[in-house]
Amino acid sequence: MKSYKRFLPEVGMLLPAIILMVVFIFIPFFLSGYFSFTNERLMPRPIPTQWIGLRNYERILADSEFWMSVKNTLYFAIVVIPIQLSLSLASAILLNSKLKFIAVFRGITILPILTPITVIVVIWAAIFQTPDGLLNGIYQWLTGTYDYIDWLGDETIAMLSIVILSIWASFPFQMLIYLAGLQEIPKDRYEAAEIDGFNKWQQFRYITFPGLRNTNIFVVIITTIGALSLFTQVNILTGGGPNGSTTTIIQYMFSNGFSSQKIGYASAVSVIFFITVASLGLLQRRLMRNE
Amino acid sequence: MKKIKIPLLTGLLALTASDFLQAKQVTAWVIDGESERQYFVQMEKDFNEKFAGQDVSLKIQPIPSYDDAIRAAWMSNDLPDVVMVDGPNMANYIWSGMLQPIGNMLDKEVLEQILPGVRAQGTYSPDNKIYMLSQGDSSVLLWGNKKYLDKAGIVAPQTIEDAWDYDQFTEVLKKLSKVDGVKWPLDFKLGNGGEWNTYGYYPFIKSAGGDIINQKTWKADGTINSKETKSAINKMKSWIDSGYIVPATAGDNRFFGDKTAALSWVGNWMWRSHSQALGDDLVLIPAPRFGEHSYAPNGGWGWAVPSSSNNTKDITTFLNFVLSADQVAKWSTATGYIPARRDSIKMTPMFAEGGKAEMLALQAQEIAVVRPVHPAYPVITSEFGKALKNIFEGADIDTALNRAAMAIDDDIEDNMNYPPFDK
Repeated sequence: MKSYKRFLPEVGMLLPAIILMVVFIFIPFFLSGYFSFTNERLMPRPIPTQWIGLRNYERILADSEFWMSVKNTLYFAIVVIPIQLSLSLASAILLNSKLKFIAVFRGITILPILTPITVIVVIWAAIFQTPDGLLNGIYQWLTGTYDYIDWLGDETIAMLSIVILSIWASFPFQMLIYLAGLQEIPKDRYEAAEIDGFNKWQQFRYITFPGLRNTNIFVVIITTIGALSLFTQVNILTGGGPNGSTTTIIQYMFSNGFSSQKIGYASAVSVIFFITVASLGLLQRRLMRNE
Repeated sequence: MKKIKIPLLTGLLALTASDFLQAKQVTAWVIDGESERQYFVQMEKDFNEKFAGQDVSLKIQPIPSYDDAIRAAWMSNDLPDVVMVDGPNMANYIWSGMLQPIGNMLDKEVLEQILPGVRAQGTYSPDNKIYMLSQGDSSVLLWGNKKYLDKAGIVAPQTIEDAWDYDQFTEVLKKLSKVDGVKWPLDFKLGNGGEWNTYGYYPFIKSAGGDIINQKTWKADGTINSKETKSAINKMKSWIDSGYIVPATAGDNRFFGDKTAALSWVGNWMWRSHSQALGDDLVLIPAPRFGEHSYAPNGGWGWAVPSSSNNTKDITTFLNFVLSADQVAKWSTATGYIPARRDSIKMTPMFAEGGKAEMLALQAQEIAVVRPVHPAYPVITSEFGKALKNIFEGADIDTALNRAAMAIDDDIEDNMNYPPFDK
């Protein structure tokens, strides 16, 4: 009895967080699992919601647009993750040195994540603009011609444009984590290595990189999840176009669940998405543990 | 992955709603916007002065995130006496049981004066009753830069009867493409996205004799992918292929900004930007036709009454007041939308005969085409809009439209054919 009382304040302090978690994460999570087997609609309606078994899943898996969005999302993730992580790590190493005014440089570098993504997207829309945006201006100046590239309007490069913008917009987040990881590595290891005659590359290869092992696992998984949830940039800039070349899984979910109001269908997409992301995450963890 | 229900908001609204339950007060929830706000403040004052002796007063409540708010309030039974509804959502709300018919409450004079397109937008086909009427209507036409038209030797039609047909209009685009300073003959607003894809291009499909759903059987297959619909889409696509159209990625202001586009296909809401930028060079040209008749988009927010409202007498007073010639004209002046009554058009210099924007009013009176009034409209417009966007961007027309047909018909089937539309 006494020990039970001892826990009361702790339970009391946990309660708000638990209630919020249950209401906003657990309940919607299980509800969407349930909805995915029904023909639930976003708006109320005069006819009953029906249990339709696996019909939503069958339709999704038979829909070429869904597979297109899966392909685009995976492509995005595969291109973004290595580039973004290298960039984050490189800038973290640069900003970890003892230059003068290093705090100022750090501040400048993290500006993109202090800016709301919608604002960034609108600015980049002007940069990408056809035929006279900033990027095309640079392109014309470099090539000395009046040719231009339709960055967001050309099927073959629209996704690459989204990649560039997304990397720029979010690399400082991973950079901050790497920076924290770098500062965890004891300085004396570098001193010892220097005495042993290690050059900078060897120091990176044998001290820095192994020292960041746990950071890496975390950053890779978090970046993968972030990359697979690509939505805002695409929704504002291209609306999934041109000709479906930038549709993503989340956008497919949004268009079915919100625009078309088919919540049951969109829930089924979200279940598929959840399973995919969770298994990818587990797989990555397993692989990196075994390294 | 996560969805959030809306009980919080509902609870909040429940608190405020209980304050309004005094007798003889009509409460109206209105959309919140800069030009609208001024009008509503004035309208509330006018009403309360006019009916001060009759023991009825009006309370206007501007509501942000309007659609979410009324859906939430409806589920918790907290709707006010009068609400506003956006045209394309109306059928969905009626089908859900949210609204009651208002035709019987309206004076004969209102029904006589209201524009046919506005009336059609507010009429629900299963029972043929009016559920909603707007004070203003929108329309889309060709805005032209006279300087370029003159250089190309083009005389723009002045009346709807003389509207360009497809071949004439394509010829116009071709001539304009050769004029110095014109980079693109037409800004077709390819980048607008969303509801625009149906709203803005549906009239051309109607004009060619096609549709996006059969409005008798309510089946999309066989109509959205019919020969007529496909020909209309192919005709628009050919302008894109010829390089006559501003690309979706080239921004929104080529017509009135750097003036590299000679024509623009966009609605009345651009009046101020266009007239400020072009001044006397601005000409308004009626919508071109693909078949016998030309059509122009229409629609907008209108007044509706929730089924929970029972203060019929006072609501009747309010509806007839707000839809009176005087109020409709004031709404138009404040917001720039076309007055929804014939007599109000005459009272508004901009839209009246000889007015600068007369062509918009003529289109709203004569060739407005209403988007399908059906509870499945959200699915219809979302699927059609997506298909059309993909086709414009290079997708195969048959694949895209057949897919849209299937998605729409699947949804209709999932909803037991939306009774009573199944009859």
